Amino acid sequence: MEDKKIILDVKNLNTSFKSDGQVIKIIKDVSFQLEKGRSLAIVGESGCGKSVTVHSVTRLMAKNAIINSDHVIYRSYRNSEEPKEYRIDKMSNYGKEMRSLRGPEISMVFQDPMASLNPVYRVGDQIIEGLLEHNKSMSKKEAMEKAIDMLKKLGIPAPEQRVKDYPYQLSGGMKQRIVIAIAMINDPELIIADEPTTALDVTIQAQIMELMKKLQTDYNKSIILITHNMGLVTEMADDVIVMYMGRIVEKGSLRQIFSNPSHPYTKMLLSSVPVLGLEQGQKLTTIPGSTPNPADLKEGCEFAGRCPFCTDACLKGKIPGFEIEEGHMVRCLRCAGHKEVD
Amino acid sequence: MAKYIVRRLITMVIMVFVISLVIFIALQSTGVDPVGQMLGVDNYTKEAAEEMREKLGLNDPIIVQFFRWWGNIFKGEYGKSIALGYTVKDGLIAKWPATLEITLYALLISTVIGLLIGMLSAFWQNSIIDYLGRGIAVLGNSMPEYFFALILIQIFSIKLGLLPSAGRIPAGGGSRLPNLILPVCALAIPLCGNLMRYTRNTMLDVANQEYVKLARSKGIPEWKVYIKHIFRNSMRPVITILLFRLTILIGGSVAVETVFAWPGVGQVLTKAITASDYWVVMFYTLFMAIMMLSISFLIDLIGALLDPRVRLGK
Ligand SMILES: Nc1ncnc2c1ncn2[C@@H]1O[C@H](COP(=O)(O)OP(=O)(O)OP(=O)(O)O)[C@@H](O)[C@H]1O
Ligand SMILES: [Mg+2]
Repeated sequence: MEDKKIILDVKNLNTSFKSDGQVIKIIKDVSFQLEKGRSLAIVGESGCGKSVTVHSVTRLMAKNAIINSDHVIYRSYRNSEEPKEYRIDKMSNYGKEMRSLRGPEISMVFQDPMASLNPVYRVGDQIIEGLLEHNKSMSKKEAMEKAIDMLKKLGIPAPEQRVKDYPYQLSGGMKQRIVIAIAMINDPELIIADEPTTALDVTIQAQIMELMKKLQTDYNKSIILITHNMGLVTEMADDVIVMYMGRIVEKGSLRQIFSNPSHPYTKMLLSSVPVLGLEQGQKLTTIPGSTPNPADLKEGCEFAGRCPFCTDACLKGKIPGFEIEEGHMVRCLRCAGHKEVD
Repeated sequence: MAKYIVRRLITMVIMVFVISLVIFIALQSTGVDPVGQMLGVDNYTKEAAEEMREKLGLNDPIIVQFFRWWGNIFKGEYGKSIALGYTVKDGLIAKWPATLEITLYALLISTVIGLLIGMLSAFWQNSIIDYLGRGIAVLGNSMPEYFFALILIQIFSIKLGLLPSAGRIPAGGGSRLPNLILPVCALAIPLCGNLMRYTRNTMLDVANQEYVKLARSKGIPEWKVYIKHIFRNSMRPVITILLFRLTILIGGSVAVETVFAWPGVGQVLTKAITASDYWVVMFYTLFMAIMMLSISFLIDLIGALLDPRVRLGK
């Protein structure tokens, strides 16, 4: 355990939103660790809080968000074996410290590539904006050369021309590559990709994911990938987190989750999706019942209402997580008897 | 782009023509008899009126009169005040500088202040500045310009005696500033409130866009996020509202000029309307129509220039 390089360490993250005088708890006691050079997939139905989780970590949240945690630690192993530790939970959202991490250390690829580019600037300028911000001595020309190099690496033909284009002149797949170029231009250690390909067609999805996978393995980068696509998870991820209603219900390695899914929700999730991936537009609606409203706070297991194995005990108190195998945590009383870890 | 501009200009010419025809017919059918006004009660006889009508061509079909009027406009004869005798050239056009003086100052001041406070209140949402801006906006929206004019006169001229309440100092007649302040403020305050609300709300809308989040994820400081990304993308709607307000401003100046006895076109127009002086009203309306159309053309043009999609011709 000692020699594990933990790049991201999240402990008891809780995020709520204030709206109309009401405070709604969206993320509940989320804890996880990400090892350097590995990729972690976060899966779960729409609205379960995947995006909110990663946005809470990177502090790119709407103003009505309240984020609490025991700690959120980012460790940079860039310069030496001895990591430089950053307490993200103690930083202010847009303060200098947090900003110095955004780009060179942690970068994000957002859910919607179509809306992620500013319509009024040339894409080249958008790529180099972050580069120039963190390298004050770099000239614009130098930066543009780097941007062109990056586009070349991402397999974009005629990059010298492309950097002069405006977003509307590019196709969806091209835009997504630009967004990825923006995320990678500062050579970050951790890339967080929030459903980076849902808006694209299947072949381009595959190309882009391959590209990210190559990056991760070639340069020993870490990735957090949010997706609905279980096929993608099996191809990309080393570790998997399954979320339901703002809580982690199961986490473990890819093998543990896929060959021994132990939470009833994980089982349903996996059996409801063809592992080869979702058709475009297909939704995860085959699980019986529907997600309850996050505003209705209840005791016990969030999944109880839809669970075929629900007992009285499931409706009371806090359901602990049990470690059924090393590194494989399941938050379900049916696993009681194993070591409580969370 | 060039093709688009030409097409727009042609439609504009057609629209001016159609609008003027509609106004012409509307004014003719108000039933007011200009001849009666010209002769006065004492000289009025049926024969004299008929003779006068014949002389002025008022018995010709409307359409003939309409084209004659346009013909005159092209010849530089803009018509004459029927009731008061002045020519449109001396009586109306010559008054434009005075009107432009207060409207342009009001536009300039309200733009600078409105944009600035609008931006700041988007940046510091729910701060004192934001609440102040909201207050001014509510005030500005709920009260017409002349009401502000009256309040300003009450406070600064009558109570405090600081500023004159009426008149305009002609060029070379000493400091013009004191006379300008109140009318300009009366015009600027409502516009300013409106503009700051609009700027704020547009910016807050834009702030929710994905590309703003992406900009933040690059680690650039907030002021850059606001100016480069949020404000830049809010400019198009804000400029639109700004230019549209210019026409409202000139409309508003009619009332404000009357209150402050400011010798601009607004005052002339008020008198012309009361005297059913329809050549004057006709010319003013034509002028306003041309201005509105030019402004909406300008709005589209600037919008196009700000939007690469249109600018690069698609
Ligand atoms: N700013 C906000 N204010 C209030 N509620 C919010 C806000 N942002 C997100 N939520 C709520 O948080 C919950 C989780 O949203 P989140 O975007 O994390 O879901 P997700 O798992 O990413 O779903 P998807 O797969 O559709 O992207 C949703 O119920 C959403 O309505
Ligand atoms: Mg999401």
